[in-house]
Amino acid sequence: MNVAEYISSGILEAYALGELSAEERTAVEKNLAQYPELSAELARIEETQEQLLMKAAIAPRASLKSEIFSKIESGKPEGKIVAMISPVWKYAAAASIAIALISSYLAYEYYGRWKASEENLTTLITQNRQMAQDYNTVNQRLDKMQSDMHVIGSPDFKRVMMSGSENAPDSKAYVYWNEKTREVYLSIENMKTLASANQYQLWAMVDGKPVDAGVFDMETGTGLLRMKDMAGAGAFAVTIEPRGGRPTPTLSTLQMIGSVVKG
Amino acid sequence: MEYLYDHYSGALYGAICRIVKKEEVAEEVLQDVFLKIWNRIDTYDPSKGRLFTWMLNLAKNQAIDKIRSKEISRENKTGGIENYVSDVKTGEFAEQQVDSIGLREVLAGLPPDQRFIVDHLYLKGYTQAEVAEEFDIPLGTVKTRLRIAMKQLRLILKT
Repeated sequence: MNVAEYISSGILEAYALGELSAEERTAVEKNLAQYPELSAELARIEETQEQLLMKAAIAPRASLKSEIFSKIESGKPEGKIVAMISPVWKYAAAASIAIALISSYLAYEYYGRWKASEENLTTLITQNRQMAQDYNTVNQRLDKMQSDMHVIGSPDFKRVMMSGSENAPDSKAYVYWNEKTREVYLSIENMKTLASANQYQLWAMVDGKPVDAGVFDMETGTGLLRMKDMAGAGAFAVTIEPRGGRPTPTLSTLQMIGSVVKG
Repeated sequence: MEYLYDHYSGALYGAICRIVKKEEVAEEVLQDVFLKIWNRIDTYDPSKGRLFTWMLNLAKNQAIDKIRSKEISRENKTGGIENYVSDVKTGEFAEQQVDSIGLREVLAGLPPDQRFIVDHLYLKGYTQAEVAEEFDIPLGTVKTRLRIAMKQLRLILKT
């Protein structure tokens, strides 16, 4: 490279004026590093430029100095950043902050709504289950009532009315007995409540001897109670026995008795 | 930093004034420039030139950015063509300040065509491309004339 020609083109003056494009500047800087004559010449140009501009100086308002330095010393981060960020980036930053805020608000809002929906759904599922259970219970009761009705209305069942003894003159109950299938059902009309240590026990008189037909409580439920199957019964009786029953009846606690009507 | 301000704020402020033409805008720019100097002093590379040149170019770029920014261009537009016509006159505002410092004598030592170039580039805030375009002088000529003028000034300033 012809250094003298390069210098006389005036490119170094343009460089000192800051008028070159980034590419041109890089090229000049490369040459400066390579040719000491160029750096020496640039130094002289810069010196002249500096002297010239020092003479052309305009003193700024005196109070400006303290204003600027208080800004520098407070080291306001906004001040530093704002000075370097272009307006476009400011708007972009503002926009992204706004979007972030709106998104988090919406996320929070919809999370709340989702949570509420989930709770509602759980409640509905629970209610649905409850209804299904209730329905089943009602259905079972209905079935029970239908089968009870069948027993009561069937000509195959004999109805045995048991009336109160001296121990319990107001007590009353019915036994429904199918001689062929041996099924025995009990229907309580009116009986006293017992202490929890005791239970009622049903007896069937078969060939003059009492046979155990099962124990029961007052609170066993509504409708007919299925008791033990029985054959050849001539009469039914109820006594009070210790809970769980006994093999033979305690005659002193006889509550009710009724005979099977023949025919 | 304070040394830099005391020493160079006048020269930088002068350069800024010549570009932005408005005192209150120039003050804003000067403030931005010193904040920039403060924040970027570690990026200054002495192998690429003098500190003053680095600061001067920061100031010129900041001033040019300022007049290109929307708010300023809107203000200028209200002025319309008149504003552009008065560019040369506002250049005189800078020159008046310069007179008192005795720069006129320095420039008087230059032939008229060289003085014209230096005057416009250094004292009226023109760029080389603007001078070339506005006064219909080839850019290469602007560059070589400045080159000769600077050599001449170097001699004048030494004496």
